[in-house]
Amino acid sequence: MNTQSPKIHAPANPNFNAERPLTAEDFKIVGANFEAQSQEQDKIQTFAKKKIKNFPYFSVFTLCAILFACFFSHLFVNHDPTQFYLTNLNTPPDSEFWFGTDSLGRDIFSVLWNGGRVSIFIGILSTVIAAGIGIIYGCISGCASTFLDTVMMRIAELFQSIPALLTLLLLLSLQAKQTPVSISVVIGITSWFALARIVRAEVRQIRNSEYILLSRHMGASFFWVMRKHLIPNIVSAIMFIVISSISTNMAMEATLSFLGLGLPPEELSLGSMLALSNRALLLNTWWVIIFPGIFLLITLFSITQIGHIFRQENCKGFSNL
Amino acid sequence: MKHALIRNRSFSLAYAGFKIFLQLAFMLLILAIIVFYVARLTPGDPLQSFYGDAVQSMTQEQLDAARDRLGLNEPVYMQFGKWIEHAVQGNFGISLRYKRPVLDIIKPLLGNTLILGVISYTVIFALAIGLALVCARYEDKWIDKFICKIGTIAYYTPAFWLGVVLVLIFSINLQLLPASGAYDYGKSKDWLNWAKHLILPVTIMVASHFWYYAYMIRNKLLDETRKDYVLLARAKGMSKMSVLVRHCLRNVMPAIINIMAISVPHIISGTYVAETVFNFPGMGLMAVSSAKYHDYNLLMIIVLITGFLVIISSFIAQFINERIDPRIKGAETITL
Repeated sequence: MNTQSPKIHAPANPNFNAERPLTAEDFKIVGANFEAQSQEQDKIQTFAKKKIKNFPYFSVFTLCAILFACFFSHLFVNHDPTQFYLTNLNTPPDSEFWFGTDSLGRDIFSVLWNGGRVSIFIGILSTVIAAGIGIIYGCISGCASTFLDTVMMRIAELFQSIPALLTLLLLLSLQAKQTPVSISVVIGITSWFALARIVRAEVRQIRNSEYILLSRHMGASFFWVMRKHLIPNIVSAIMFIVISSISTNMAMEATLSFLGLGLPPEELSLGSMLALSNRALLLNTWWVIIFPGIFLLITLFSITQIGHIFRQENCKGFSNL
Repeated sequence: MKHALIRNRSFSLAYAGFKIFLQLAFMLLILAIIVFYVARLTPGDPLQSFYGDAVQSMTQEQLDAARDRLGLNEPVYMQFGKWIEHAVQGNFGISLRYKRPVLDIIKPLLGNTLILGVISYTVIFALAIGLALVCARYEDKWIDKFICKIGTIAYYTPAFWLGVVLVLIFSINLQLLPASGAYDYGKSKDWLNWAKHLILPVTIMVASHFWYYAYMIRNKLLDETRKDYVLLARAKGMSKMSVLVRHCLRNVMPAIINIMAISVPHIISGTYVAETVFNFPGMGLMAVSSAKYHDYNLLMIIVLITGFLVIISSFIAQFINERIDPRIKGAETITL
């Protein structure tokens, strides 16, 4: 008979203390799956670290500063943004007009913040409209029968195959004069197609899950299922696209105003400010072009970087290269 | 037996051609109906573009007579029926603004747009594939990160603003490159002059589009490098770049061709902006002005040509993909 007390295999943990009850940390995984499991853990840890390291602090700070400045611009601007300083047309930047004045005699520094506010408003409103249409359309298409699904996706494809600017051109000419709301609606209803297709693909993956079947069998309506089950499940997949489409839509508004189809010059926005840049080219007044453009660029870039937080890692695992 | 097989194949080819033709006709018809109705719904008077400022001095009777003559008083579906009837005979009507057949107006513009579009398209995809290969080769190294940052900034810079800034720098202050037009007056035969006028438009087209595609191709390549055959190829002693080019790139080729087909409408949109910024006489500039001046017939032909290009390119992509990878046949080929 072996009278010796059974030997405890001392764990690698140096803090091991025999008096203390054993906890999960005192054991380590051994055996056939050891390699795979520890690799999995490493991967999760490095992924989490990477995520914290890549958090765009700078972009968040910049965007917050821009938003704050846009909404409280009346506290620090030194000129009235709606005033036309007719004696100071096309003044280069100096101590009185910090960013100069444009060909209508407006102080660019003061107008910039108001224009930024309108542009961000247009970006967000049009994204909300596009996301609303896209999500509902995608959910309906994803849950529908094969025939209806095919028809709905064909329709989305048809509209997507028309160049976006052409559709915008037609829709904008429906109304003689644009306002920020009307232009957001037009941008919104021309930019939901890609989103609808992604939503539909996601919905098709989860629509036969047990919880959705249960919910349907308990008498839930389609919109209940959509609100309670579908949208929470797809939100992570579409978050990046939704946020980065804010900046795409802001750029689109600026482009439309530049083409002379968007907001008129008296309606302040970054686009309508940049619409004066053709005239500025003739006069070689660089400040009219550069300052609003840089402002727009910084805003767009910060929004995109923030959207990258929500981007799903598309290349998991280690490269074999 | 052999004879039957051949007949069968030729039959299926004819059938496929017929199917493509039907789909094309159907899609173009839907497109035409939508554009026709939307264009008629817009406020504003087409007579304004026909007579210019003379409209103000015309009496009501004269205006009514002009409307009757141009067929603007009939119900919209009657107008559409007439338009279709003439269109299938190859007569797309006359432009209200220029008072010439629209086909005559469009022909030179179409050539200009195609030159701009095709050059940009080629440069965009050559650059996109090249950068994607470099990024995939040096994944997560500084060069990859650097290219990603530059690409994102280029993608989100509005193309028109970049164009204006380039004009400001290169045409106005340095006076190196021309700022507008497709060629200087009287120099339409001089290809060097053409090339000079194309540099800036192509630059902004490339800058605002290449990253979208490069990033997609990069991610597809990175997914591909996770597969086992890459390990085998490396173990054989192939260099990293040649594994990427000779194995991975070939495997992602169907996806790249799909992306190239989907990109056609985006790039056409891009030419609209580039043409407007640089006053380049092309279809985009004409589309913007014809929408502004309610020049219905001109707008219709531009929309139809655009739709035709887009639909044809997607069919070509499908055809090439089936040739290089027969497994795709019948499967859902749309990516994005």
